[in-house]
Amino acid sequence: MSSVNQKGGSRSVGKTVRSFLAGNSVPIMFILICAVCIPISGFSPDYLLNEIITRLGRNAFLILSLLIPIMAGMGLNFGMTLGAMAGEIALIFVSDWQIWGIPGVILAMIVSVPFSVVLGWFCGKIMNMAKGREMITSYIISFFINGVYQLIVLYMMGSVIPIAHSSIKLPRGYGIRNTVGLLNMRQCIDNLLAIRIGGVKIPALTLLIIALMCLLIVWFRRTKLGQDMRAVGQDMQVARDAGIQVERTRIISIIISTVLAGFGMILYLQNIGNLSTYSAHSQVGMFCIAALLVGGASVDRASIGNVFLGVILFHLMFIVAPQAGAKITGDSMIGEYFRVFVSYGVITMALIMYEMKKRRQKASIGEQLALAQKEGLQHE
Amino acid sequence: MNKKRMWIIRGCTLLAVLAIAAVMLVVGRGHTVYIDNKALEYNGQTFEAMYRSEVWVGGERLSKLAKKERTMSTVIGQGFEMNLINTANKGDDPSEVSVKLSLPYGWDGIVVNLPGYLAGLPQEAWMTEFIPAPEPASEEDEEPETFEDEIPMGDI
Repeated sequence: MSSVNQKGGSRSVGKTVRSFLAGNSVPIMFILICAVCIPISGFSPDYLLNEIITRLGRNAFLILSLLIPIMAGMGLNFGMTLGAMAGEIALIFVSDWQIWGIPGVILAMIVSVPFSVVLGWFCGKIMNMAKGREMITSYIISFFINGVYQLIVLYMMGSVIPIAHSSIKLPRGYGIRNTVGLLNMRQCIDNLLAIRIGGVKIPALTLLIIALMCLLIVWFRRTKLGQDMRAVGQDMQVARDAGIQVERTRIISIIISTVLAGFGMILYLQNIGNLSTYSAHSQVGMFCIAALLVGGASVDRASIGNVFLGVILFHLMFIVAPQAGAKITGDSMIGEYFRVFVSYGVITMALIMYEMKKRRQKASIGEQLALAQKEGLQHE
Repeated sequence: MNKKRMWIIRGCTLLAVLAIAAVMLVVGRGHTVYIDNKALEYNGQTFEAMYRSEVWVGGERLSKLAKKERTMSTVIGQGFEMNLINTANKGDDPSEVSVKLSLPYGWDGIVVNLPGYLAGLPQEAWMTEFIPAPEPASEEDEEPETFEDEIPMGDI
């Protein structure tokens, strides 16, 4: 009797371990990659810790902006690039107005809001027309708006939109330079209240802002709007029958995500200290989504824990891979390629796994239905 | 009634955000202050530069200016304070002066002539706008890269 119980217990433990491994295969894979690459790279723990904390402060806010559309069942919001562009436009204006330091960051955030709201509304409207294909739609919208952004920044700023300073204008008199210097606001938030512990700089204020953002998301989930978004995310038809304005809720979720992405981009760029006008936003969505997926999130499920685990693992790999690649093969480009294909690979894997899961669910529902029908026929 | 209250709250929030933006526009305005120890001619009179002038800003020594020298400092906001330890002629005892300046909002770069200021001349004599010389056009800036199909990994 006891041996049967033992067998049953070990089987259930085995099942739990297997389901844990299956559910967390991506983070586990990254932990293994990092565990192999860290000793090979030869970086000191202090250096790695410093880099990870810097990158956590730089990227976490941007990645947090992805959580709300996932909650509303709209998948991974590749349209967060739109918010990044809004943040960049705001920073160009603030640089031109010569507003420096923390007031400059706050003003840029305020200025970015109307741009983000308009772009988010536009993106949400189009995504409502393409229900079920939100991710590819938002991805293509980001390319489209990138074209509009370049038209505005390259041709309209300085000619139609007043830009006074020649330091950010192209010498021809209109258009913005390739790089806009943000030296006067560089790391102003990171350095304020920064703490140094054994050679590791901790940007306390930035981390505090990120912590507040996390609390805000937790609180938001409990609000009426948050509950509506979860309901819409679970089943749009049921949500509609329950009296929830599905389309409006979805648009609001994208607007919130875009506004937060704008804020995140401003925090990101104040850390970097310069703005690559025409390319800074181009891959932001891709990397944030890859980091979130590395943290164990999926297309329909993501948590704050996934954000932090993702930033740590993804960026740890970013730091150590080139050096490890250089040590193993003698060519640092191998490490560069490795981190590029891992970024794309992890997104592809997540999409495939999501699709497989959906099909499996559909098949199991079909099987259940067939079984129920069979049983019904037998009873008759 | 509820809707009215909601619109009032929204309006007040919008006004509050606009007020914060306005405050940031004023308190965050950055200036570069160039401090000159150069002779100044004003109304046919020449005000000679000092032998030495130590410039202290925010408790730190910015520079020790000899004749015809210039130093610079950046400031956020319209108030600028500095301490000067001046030696008018070689061998003289140094004297300390505290300077508080109100900077014009619209000027990015401001040149302050110390001999003119210390002589008590009107502001337009010793405070002028710094206008940088136009930069020569470079090829890199003429044709910005508008779209990249590759992945810029460096900044991540």
